[in-house]
Amino acid sequence: MFKLALKNILFYKGRSIATAVLTFVSTMLFILYISLQDGSHNSMLENSLKIYTGAIEIYRKDYRDIGGNEYLIQDVKVITDKLEKIDAIEEYSPRYETYGLLSNKEYSAASMVAGIEPNKERVLSSLKSALIEGSFLDDGSANCIYMGAELLKKLKLGIGDEVAFIGSASDGSFAADMLRVCGVFKTGSFEFDSSTSFVARSYFDELMNAKNRASYITLKLKNIEDADKVNEQIISMLDDENLESLTWKTLMKSMVEIMEIDSVFGYISLSLFMVVIFFVIMIYGFVNVSSRIKEFGVLRCIGLSKRNIFLLLFYEIALLSIFATLLATPIAAYICYYYNINPIVIDGIADMYKDYGIVSDEITFDYNLFTIGWNVGVIYLLNFLSILYPYMYINSFRPIEATRHV
Amino acid sequence: MYKLILKLAWKNSFLRRSRTLLVIIMIAVSMSMMLAIEGIYDGMVENMVDKNKRSDSGDISIFAKEYRINKDLAYMIKNADEIKAQIENMQGAQAVVLRVKAEGLLSTARKSSFASVVGIDLQEEERFGKFSEFLKEGSIDLQKQGAIVGIELAKTLKVGVGSKVVFSTQDIRGEINSIALYVRAIVQTTNISLDNSAIFIDINQLHKFLGTDSKNAMQIAIRGEDKELYGKLKIAFANLDVKSFLELQPMIKQMQDLMIIFNSVTLLIVMGVVFIGIFGVMYVSILDRVREFGIMISVGMHYKYITIQIFLESIVIGVLGYLSGALLGAVLLTYLEHYGIDLSAFSDALATWGYEAVIYATIKTSYFTTTLGAIMAASIFSVIIPLRKIKKLNPIEVIKAEK
Repeated sequence: MFKLALKNILFYKGRSIATAVLTFVSTMLFILYISLQDGSHNSMLENSLKIYTGAIEIYRKDYRDIGGNEYLIQDVKVITDKLEKIDAIEEYSPRYETYGLLSNKEYSAASMVAGIEPNKERVLSSLKSALIEGSFLDDGSANCIYMGAELLKKLKLGIGDEVAFIGSASDGSFAADMLRVCGVFKTGSFEFDSSTSFVARSYFDELMNAKNRASYITLKLKNIEDADKVNEQIISMLDDENLESLTWKTLMKSMVEIMEIDSVFGYISLSLFMVVIFFVIMIYGFVNVSSRIKEFGVLRCIGLSKRNIFLLLFYEIALLSIFATLLATPIAAYICYYYNINPIVIDGIADMYKDYGIVSDEITFDYNLFTIGWNVGVIYLLNFLSILYPYMYINSFRPIEATRHV
Repeated sequence: MYKLILKLAWKNSFLRRSRTLLVIIMIAVSMSMMLAIEGIYDGMVENMVDKNKRSDSGDISIFAKEYRINKDLAYMIKNADEIKAQIENMQGAQAVVLRVKAEGLLSTARKSSFASVVGIDLQEEERFGKFSEFLKEGSIDLQKQGAIVGIELAKTLKVGVGSKVVFSTQDIRGEINSIALYVRAIVQTTNISLDNSAIFIDINQLHKFLGTDSKNAMQIAIRGEDKELYGKLKIAFANLDVKSFLELQPMIKQMQDLMIIFNSVTLLIVMGVVFIGIFGVMYVSILDRVREFGIMISVGMHYKYITIQIFLESIVIGVLGYLSGALLGAVLLTYLEHYGIDLSAFSDALATWGYEAVIYATIKTSYFTTTLGAIMAASIFSVIIPLRKIKKLNPIEVIKAEK
């Protein structure tokens, strides 16, 4: 059957070329489309995670839903002592976040001001590497404020300038002080850069009366893939129903969901191409078998079973598919690999889509052999499905009737 | 003669019924899917454009020259009320509103967030963009320090209808000033910046709070699709910053351009593949009948008539495919236009990104006309190569050839 299939492929050149070309095109299209889609999603997530959000964050229950000082973590040290024992954690740090008004003589703006441990943040986030002017904080920085570039622009401040901070302390009392701009950062996330500023925790704890208290504790893992496993470990180790430990998947739920929707729409668009290509491959297969009915009749008369006929068609489509995918897959995989390492840069795209959290002008492709593998699998499946109708059509003829078919 | 050719073409189109049906189904399925996808994507963008125009920028917006760079109280349009009256008298202006804006801190007893307070006149906003249609919760009322909050801002602050909030900012004199407000309604405009950070209050109250002159405003927004209006406004108010909707929303312009590119590329690829499908069937169908064509030429039929017959056969298949696709596509689009795609399960995420939970399709005549053109082109071009093959045939040899 295999030899016969090979001979048929070579004999019916037109059909073979058309099927192979269409399979080649659909394989390329499928792999590149999915790679581009996954690559952009991964890059958006990675950028957001890199900037500030932790792989895991520990909160007191209801802090995220209700908020307020009564939902701050009250005894940070007890928790951090436990975290020390988990090997998979690369670094952790408690953060104290509050909203306040920053003002100078002429301008004012609302800002989220966060008290951070600067030395730990060098490992945890990209705040240090986002520095564009001045200097990053250190653990002993007193009233130094590290401000987002857009916020700085809004307040018309420069390095060394003073700015008044007015907010409410952790005990509900009024908190105010004069801060000095020490450094400016630009992460690329417009919203973050225009609304956030940082001060050292050692100083902020005094001002906000927040010693041993925190809004949450952020964690960086040695391997982000272990987030779910480590999170379970943390939950059992904390063993406190007033605390909740959440992975980035929950923390960035809206982004993850919007990517799922985007993927669904992507697959719908792609399915259009796949459906039309599937039909054409089926039509070519059908036209081919309908011109070979006599041949199939003879084969059945000399003793070949229906199963043999199916095998013959199966081998024909399998060989054509293997040939086309063997050609398309390495090319597509190389393109994915190349643009994974050297992303396509479209100047201005981040600025244009800043409201959507796009922080980079780079469009990255994803290079994942498993994804490429299932993409090729889908193409095979579609090609095999395309022989079903032609096969049913052949079987609708009795062998003798088929030998007389014109 | 032509009647006979038409009859022959019609009968020959169904000589191999299964093949013809497969091609018709292929065209119908791919075309209807393509129309539905185009309709949904265009619907998403058009909905965004409509809501953005109605809630914020209108078709044209006017600002003081420096305001868009320095969003400061110092950069207000002087005598905005007089300018508004002038614009209202201009031909093509359908509705005009004045807005006052200031950025600051919005706080509850538990939470705070940065926010933009927008001073509006509710009656005028209703005429301008049917503001009440954005209502998600509560009632549209700004009396007695009432405020309307954007849906995402309300989620951030965990406020609902009846909650008390305090907005703090610097007034015109540079003093930090605060105002207590009562949330009367929550709105979803699907304009990300408004939903994330806007709190709407009465324009006169905001003037009073900021200490600004009630004749001035930050923005004059104009509804009016008259293309000449923009030019007239540019000339009339050369000392101000007159911007069209797409100038203010370059992202939407880019989205529209991307949609055009996406739809064109999709049409090209799908029709390219459809062309290959029709070509395959027509090619085999013609080769199957070379003897028949040989006989027709031998009995004196001119090659021209055979050409017409083959073109007609291909067109018949194309037209039938198109009609089935158009019907299926119209049904799909009508359903999606009325019921949309319900993505309520992801409503929170969609709202964060400025989309509604139910996405409705739009229907444009151009979907059907461009597809008709493309299918006809694919049908006609698909028989050119088989026809050239027939032209080269020697009728006598073809007739003599074994059946």
